[in-house]
This record gives sequence, C-alpha cells and structure tokens, in this order.
Amino acid sequence: MRIDYSIDHPVQLEVNFEVEGFTILLGQSGEGKTTLLRAVAGLLPAHGEPFGGLLPQQRAVGYLPQGYALFPHLRAWENVAFALPRGPQRRVQALELLARVRLVDVAEHHPAALSGGQQQRVALARALARKPQLLLLDEPSSALDAATRDEVMAELISEMHEFGLPALAVSHDPHLAALADRVAVMSGRRIVQQGTPAEVLSRPGSPAVARLLGHRNLFIARVVGHENSSTTLLRWEAANGITLRLPRQSELTAGQLVQWMIAPTAVRLPSLKPEPYRPDNPVTGRVESRLNLGAHFQVALSCGTERLWLAATSDLVRHHSLETGREITVDLRSNALVCWRQSA
Amino acid sequence: MSALVDVEAADGLPRSRAPALVGGLTLLIIAGPFIALAFATHWSNFHFAPGDIGSIGVSLGYSLISLALIVALGTPLAWWLARHSFPGKWMLDAIILLALLTPPLAMGILLTTLFGPYGPVGSLVAHTGVELTNSAPAFVLAQFYGALPYYVVAARAAFEGVPRELEHIALTLGKSPWQTFWLISMPLARLGLAAGIALAWVRALGEFGIVLILAYYPQGIPVKLWVNLQDIGLSAVYPLLWVFFLVAMPLPLILGLASRRQGLF
Repeated sequence: MRIDYSIDHPVQLEVNFEVEGFTILLGQSGEGKTTLLRAVAGLLPAHGEPFGGLLPQQRAVGYLPQGYALFPHLRAWENVAFALPRGPQRRVQALELLARVRLVDVAEHHPAALSGGQQQRVALARALARKPQLLLLDEPSSALDAATRDEVMAELISEMHEFGLPALAVSHDPHLAALADRVAVMSGRRIVQQGTPAEVLSRPGSPAVARLLGHRNLFIARVVGHENSSTTLLRWEAANGITLRLPRQSELTAGQLVQWMIAPTAVRLPSLKPEPYRPDNPVTGRVESRLNLGAHFQVALSCGTERLWLAATSDLVRHHSLETGREITVDLRSNALVCWRQSA
Repeated sequence: MSALVDVEAADGLPRSRAPALVGGLTLLIIAGPFIALAFATHWSNFHFAPGDIGSIGVSLGYSLISLALIVALGTPLAWWLARHSFPGKWMLDAIILLALLTPPLAMGILLTTLFGPYGPVGSLVAHTGVELTNSAPAFVLAQFYGALPYYVVAARAAFEGVPRELEHIALTLGKSPWQTFWLISMPLARLGLAAGIALAWVRALGEFGIVLILAYYPQGIPVKLWVNLQDIGLSAVYPLLWVFFLVAMPLPLILGLASRRQGLF
C-alpha cells in the first residue's frame, strides 16, 4: 500500500512511501510522525491517499496511539467489542479476537489491571475488530519494559503477519528497524530513504540516516585518491593517519573530506583458526570498555582519538582475552565501509 | 511530632495525623449549626405550620423540572465550551461568570425587569395567557437562573477532563460523533456531571433571593421558612427545616455514591 500525504498544519509535511507487511517509519521526535498517523486516520486535515477526503469513522484503519488509549471504563472484552455491531454475537466475537492475541483470561479485567504488553494486545484486538485495511502504530515499543520489549514486539509483529494486514509503525527506536519487513527513514520532514531493513541498515543514505539507525561508528576521513579501477583510498587522520581501502567511489576526488561508517558486526577480530586470509584494512586499537550482552559483546576500541565499536561473539572475545587495555588488530572489511561526501 | 506521623492511610503508607485533625475540626465547625438545631428543636412539640406541606410539594416538584431543564440545556453548552476554542471565547466565559456573580436579589430584579408584566418578554408571553411572575413557570424560571451557571461550570470541567484521544479513537473505530459522545464522553465525565447535577439541585432547591422577587407565590420551602419566621417565629422554622434536609439530601447523596460506585456502608 502506498502512503502519499501532504499536511499543512500543525507541521508542514509531504511524504510518499510504500507500506509492505510491518513497515517502520523511523524519525526523530518532532519530525511529525504522529501527525502523519493522525492524518491517515482522518483526525487532522490533510490531503492524500489512501482514505483521502473520508471522515475518520469511514476510514478502515486501526489506530494504536502511544499509550494505546484503551477506554478505562470498559473491560478488556468490551473495549474489543466497541467496534463490533450490536447483537448476540458481539461478546463471542470479542472473545475470539482476544483469543487470537492470547488474552481470553483477562477479558473481564479493566485496562488499569493489565500490563503494558497486554494493553497493547487488547488495543490491537480492538483495532482488528474494526476490520481495517491498514494498521497504524505510534511508537509501539515506547511503553514496554526494556527487558521484554524485543520479545513483545516480535510477538506483535508475528501476530500482524498472521492477520495478513499491512501495518505502519512510526518510531524513533532504531531497534525496531531490524524486526520490520520494510523501513522508511524520515529526516527534515520528508522520506530520505526506504527499503528492506538489510538494505537500509547496511547502506544508510546519509550520515543523518546512519545516526537515526543507531550507527555509532561514524568517522571523518580524507580522500587520498583511487588506487586502480576498483579501489578508493581514504586517510583516517584521527586514527594515526591509517589508510582505508574501499570499493571505488568514482565521484570522490583527492583531498575531499568524507564521512564514513562501518557496522560494529563488520569489524572483524582475527578468527579462531588461522586461515589464509588477507585483511582489507587492519586497524590496531586498545580495548577501552566492553559491554556483555549475553551471547555477544560490544567492545569499544580506542584508535587514535576515535572510538571504534565492534560486536563479537563471547567465544571470540574470550579467545582474544579482550580485557580493558589490551591491544588488538582488527580488520575493517572493505565492502562494509560506507562513505559520503562531507556536505559543505 | 512523632506522635503525629504514625497513622496509616488507605494505601497503607504512614501519613501525618495533622490533616485528619484539622479536617475533623473543620467538619465540626461545619456541623455546629446543625448540632445547635438538634438542641433548639422542640421535639416534644414537633408540628408543621399551615401551608408547610404544600411548600414541600412546590419545592420538590418544580426543582425537579428546573433540574431537567438545566441538564437538557446546560449539557450541550458545557460540551461546546469544553471542546471548541475560537477567538472571543472569553466573552462567553464572562457571561457565565456574570450569572454566577450577580447577587440573587439583583438577579431577581433583573429577571422581573425582563419577564415581569411590563417587561419585553413578560408582556409578550402574557398574550399567550402565561404569567412569568408569581406563577409556577416563574418559580421554575427563578430556580433555573439560580442554578444553571453552577451546572455549566461543573459539567464543562467534567468534559474537559475526558481525554480527547479517547474520543478520537472511538471515531477511528467507526463510531459517529454522537455515539462517541454517549459511549465515551458521558460515561467518562460522569463523576463531574453527577457533582454538577447535585450542585444544581442544591442551588435550585435552596434558591431564595431570585424566587423572593420573581415568584413569591407559589411558596417553596425557602420562602415559606421566611414567611414562618415573620408570621410565627423561630419555632415554626425548625420543623420545616428538618423536612427540607430530608427531601434535599437523598439526590446529591445517591448521585455521589452511584458515580463513585460506592455503597452506603
């Protein structure tokens, strides 16, 4: 489904992007993401498709605002039944919908007695009762505990896949991007990039997008020149002036300043077994700190005056005994380096 | 001070004793006149003055009619004020404030000027055979003017307390604005609306100043209390006052309890 909307008030906004399966629209606070959702739901004056010109009650959308807005005076099943036509089947249908989000046992509870995740699923069931063609979710992860957030969101997304409904979620949380079927990035009140999470996460269109996506390894370098038909050379001044090689970027000329990034997962530690393998860009740094995230670690290396993050499995980190202060040489894979010309 | 902080409140947390002490004292001050009334009443010689029973019927019957009118006309106004903003809205606020501020006696005079036999509206309505002074409609009119602004202020605050987002969600769930009003706004505003109705009832039933000027007849309880005091004396006031409490109390009490879903005990 294509979303094509223009809004004048309260913020000026013009967007055009594709919603497929579970789509995340990423953008910072103040970009007008909530405004866009409200406009699509018909709650704000706007022009666009789908649903253009219809009253909110005529639009087949299921809108889940931040905090879910369950009706506090109605029980869980009554909330779900709200959109259902009156009749003897109403309660049965509401309970069926609650069963689909596995919440039949709290059907008689009022919203105040439900956890954040349960409220979200009741709100989803209520929105589904409306038989929408599109689900709109505003910051769906914001009211969830950090500990259970990914799990709850993965569950929510798989439920939406089961229902076979396109869903548009807006968020500033780059975590969600990895879980989605499609990602659109909003910056400066317009869509600056869209695609699959793999495409967008590995090849952000600009440093701003990279930052929005949560990339931390963003650095500045100067173009040295092109080595042959396939390689461009950069000089990373801040890290003792080492030279970086990356696939040829013909638009760059010697002397230009560029911003470049590499995903922490693409920063390679020497492998466990020795293998005939020539590093692309060996970089030596000292372990500054490390975060234990269970199955893997995030390790910060200090390289010159910069900090380079790498993500590695616990096995590798133990094998190389990456304690604070230890020096190690890692490899930045050429084809994982992304660079942009520094805008003046 | 330690003796003052070991009381447990309803939520089980230790609370200071001071608010309870001050609160108890304040309640005692409020209850003082009624305790005095209990002592002053001649219980062995408890009887009504002629016309007392009739005044009870007048007060109850017409107050119910004015209350119905107040709710019917005041609710849409309160909703409108709560949900719409436009330039110059302060003038509407000022009009309601004006109605609240005007001393009852002055309001009675103003109403007589407008609805009296020589007033612009009064003389017009008189052609249809309806008198708007010293008549049942005049009595209702006086109570209506006395209590309406209180209801509008309370109901408006109640509607303003309903999150707009919930009304918006009801719309996205396919309900019309009218259905949204009945299914979401009204139930969620019920506490404040009940308080507004209770307040309007108390104001209407107890209205004296406006009624005295615009509708001396038919006599409701407040005017009859005045008449009894003038004609007979204090002893003729107390029995009617007890009845007044008895008939005035149930509605606000029940409204308060029902809206909080609370029992008497």
